[in-house]
Amino acid sequence: MAGGGGGMEKGEPDFQIAPMVDVLLVILIFFMVITSAQVLNIDKTIKLPIASEASKKDDSRAEAIVNVRWDPDAQRATFKFQDHVYAKASELTVPLKAAKQLGEKLAAEKPGQNPEFRLVIRGDRDVPALFVSQAMDIAAEIDISDISFSTVNHD
Amino acid sequence: MKPFVHDDDGTMGFQIAPMVDVVFVIMLFFMVMAGAVKVENELTTRLPGSTETSSATELYDETMIAISDEGQVSLNDEECDAPNDTQLPQLRATLMRIKENADNAKQPAVVTIVSDPHAKYSRTIDVLDALAAAKISNVTFNISDE
Repeated sequence: MAGGGGGMEKGEPDFQIAPMVDVLLVILIFFMVITSAQVLNIDKTIKLPIASEASKKDDSRAEAIVNVRWDPDAQRATFKFQDHVYAKASELTVPLKAAKQLGEKLAAEKPGQNPEFRLVIRGDRDVPALFVSQAMDIAAEIDISDISFSTVNHD
Repeated sequence: MKPFVHDDDGTMGFQIAPMVDVVFVIMLFFMVMAGAVKVENELTTRLPGSTETSSATELYDETMIAISDEGQVSLNDEECDAPNDTQLPQLRATLMRIKENADNAKQPAVVTIVSDPHAKYSRTIDVLDALAAAKISNVTFNISDE
């Protein structure tokens, strides 16, 4: 009977194709998972700014994501929140307030979760800072003090 | 030489070699894609708020970083780095010294960014990135009056 490694009659180990296929499939699944898990599901019209020192995104908390778009031809910024586009930041107050109340309610039902609601601003890299500041002003108005700016690791 | 492996009943058997070839090609594709994938990260800040306190509040030295409409960054009114330099090496080095001094003095390093309203948002992120590199977390963001 052949040993654990398999062998020919001469005593040399035989090339085993089955374990090689197993290993290949495991490596394949690994690369498939890390590639597809990190594909960005964001507003395609926004080019996020690049930051090398930014930290990993915290997905464990309730959050609202506001996209700040910039139209260079019209020189106009718009704000997108929950599939609605708003021309002025002040129009975000009501939907953001509702999202905050819902997020805090859901967080309270889950023990151990950080109940603090946060705002994630996904601003286009070319948008004037004024419009990002306007979104932050709305956050301050409805008592959201934790604000994160989305960035990407490279172009 | 037999081109195909046949079972005794005449049907074609399972071909492992082409399967390994295909798996290799798919794996190479995902290996290359894994290096090029964009990862979304974040830079975090907290808005200043009011807190109730019964004891006296200590006031700390505040560092001001101004961003002009052309992207020129100034630290306490002194210009540093070129407006098109995204890495801001001078600013990073100075901020690291400020953080070191603050740590030695057992005080927090407090920084306020004052940006021109028309300055690009990416410039603010460049400065926030430099602050993150220096591990300074007490950051306030403001827009200057026009």
